[in-house]
Amino acid sequence: MHPSTHAYEHGTDQLLRPLLLSLADDDFMLGYRDSEWTGIAPMLEEDIAMSSVSQDEIGHARALYEISVEMGRRATSDEEYGGSPKTIAREVDALAYGREKTEYHSSWLAEHHRGDWAFTIARRYLYETADEVRLEALSGSACTPLANVLTKVRREERYHTMHLRTWLDRLAASPAARPRLLAALHSLWPDALGFWEELEGEDSLVASGAMPLSSEAMRERWLTRITAELEEHGISGPDAGLTPRTGGRRGERSPGFEEFWAEVTQVYRLHPGATW
Amino acid sequence: MAVETEATIEERTQAFRDHVTSGGKVEMTDWMPDEYRRSVLKFIEMHANSEIMGVLPEREWINRAPSVRRKLALTSKVQDEVGHGQLLYRLAEDLGKPREQMLEDLMAGRTKFHNVFHYPTHTWADVGIIAWLVDAAAILSQKALLTCSYAPYARTMQKICWEESFHIKHGYDIVLSMMNGTEEQRAMVQEALDRWWGPLMQFHGPPTPVEKDKDLAWRIKSKGNEQLRQEFLSMYVPRILDLGLSIPDPNLRYDEETGRWQYTEPSWEELRSVVTGHGPRSQERLAFRRLNYDQGEWVRQAVMTAS
Repeated sequence: MHPSTHAYEHGTDQLLRPLLLSLADDDFMLGYRDSEWTGIAPMLEEDIAMSSVSQDEIGHARALYEISVEMGRRATSDEEYGGSPKTIAREVDALAYGREKTEYHSSWLAEHHRGDWAFTIARRYLYETADEVRLEALSGSACTPLANVLTKVRREERYHTMHLRTWLDRLAASPAARPRLLAALHSLWPDALGFWEELEGEDSLVASGAMPLSSEAMRERWLTRITAELEEHGISGPDAGLTPRTGGRRGERSPGFEEFWAEVTQVYRLHPGATW
Repeated sequence: MAVETEATIEERTQAFRDHVTSGGKVEMTDWMPDEYRRSVLKFIEMHANSEIMGVLPEREWINRAPSVRRKLALTSKVQDEVGHGQLLYRLAEDLGKPREQMLEDLMAGRTKFHNVFHYPTHTWADVGIIAWLVDAAAILSQKALLTCSYAPYARTMQKICWEESFHIKHGYDIVLSMMNGTEEQRAMVQEALDRWWGPLMQFHGPPTPVEKDKDLAWRIKSKGNEQLRQEFLSMYVPRILDLGLSIPDPNLRYDEETGRWQYTEPSWEELRSVVTGHGPRSQERLAFRRLNYDQGEWVRQAVMTAS
């Protein structure tokens, strides 16, 4: 079966939804959280850099939401896809801001408040390295629109990880900053492991080739990589017996999400569907 | 000897004055009178302060932007303002004042920032009005700096004006979308305009005689306060009215005879009070800036010790 035909088959959109939305929601939540540094980061230069990174993440989320919107339309209509840019944007917004909280698939790792700079760097490091492994694997997805978008996304992500690694080096090397970094990593390990929680319908996603690797296989790959990298800084990886904190992929939201989401959707909710 | 040196400095100052009044440019490494250096530094420092204080009211809405498109545009706009702040602080540093000192002076209330950034925001419509009209008022002042005698500032203003022109489009687009929306959305825009009109009319400052405006004499800026306000009114009153908004000044009218706009005298007392730290959000914003600056101290230290 030709992969692109396969991707648009009736019913496939429902199968692919948890995969597409877990990717999109992660980028969306993290993009929002890190955009909270805009205007108040510790240095003007980093303020500008962090704004760019968070805009990239939201841009990636938008591209992924668009795939989901497009697939949903194709699945419910035999006609060629013909939405105007405005209509697509409105549907993307509905997906981004208008779902019930239990309908989001984001990881808790992505949802947390930015915390202090050490927390932001530690979280981003765990997230970016995990995302790197995930995007690498999904570039070979049988879902062609996804694989195509990820090629572009990965180009931008390279710069994010470069930026992140510079900060990891700096914080790890500074006697005053190192304890903050270690504390942040320590508090984040359960969520970083939970990032790899099995997706809804994962068996079928793997069997259809939409996911070339299972979440568990990707987690192992990621752990091997970052354990080696952290070791260079004299930092140990997560304890072997540590329980991953899961739930995000099944619609459970992290502590603090309620308040955050009330703020994010405050204006949107005034008139859902209105043009602003 | 002393007398001779004095005379030389006076002569050099006069030659410098002739140079700048005839449109000559000054580079960072050129000799310049202390008074000129101080004036340029003060001007650029206040501009830089305004950029980084100006991000605070708008960043309150970065998380509340009602669509993905607006979210990206607003984050990017605020990022531009931070970028302008960074460029301007670097220019000011070249004139001899370290960035930390400028930030300390700002947070301690020893230096100023523009009046409009001392006010609260209430609704998403404020975001539109700020980006459209506050930035429009600002860009008029900034365009008058493109011919600044201090060449590094004039060059930086080219980039800043270019970016600001996009901010105005972004703001206008927000306002236009809301005016084409529901009754409530239109009412929100009108209320925002009513709130901002006073501060906007004060923005360029009281009319000042040319001979008393030192920044004009040194050709740091090329237009006086009243001239800028007249330009603002000429450009934006028709556009505001075109959208179906009304302007909260019953005395506002264009006088064909004099070719000038008549308006209710803005409250210069309010302007003075606001820019000296007594505006409705002055202290709160400075405290917020201070809080974040202090929380970032260990990060800056870590960077300095690592490099």
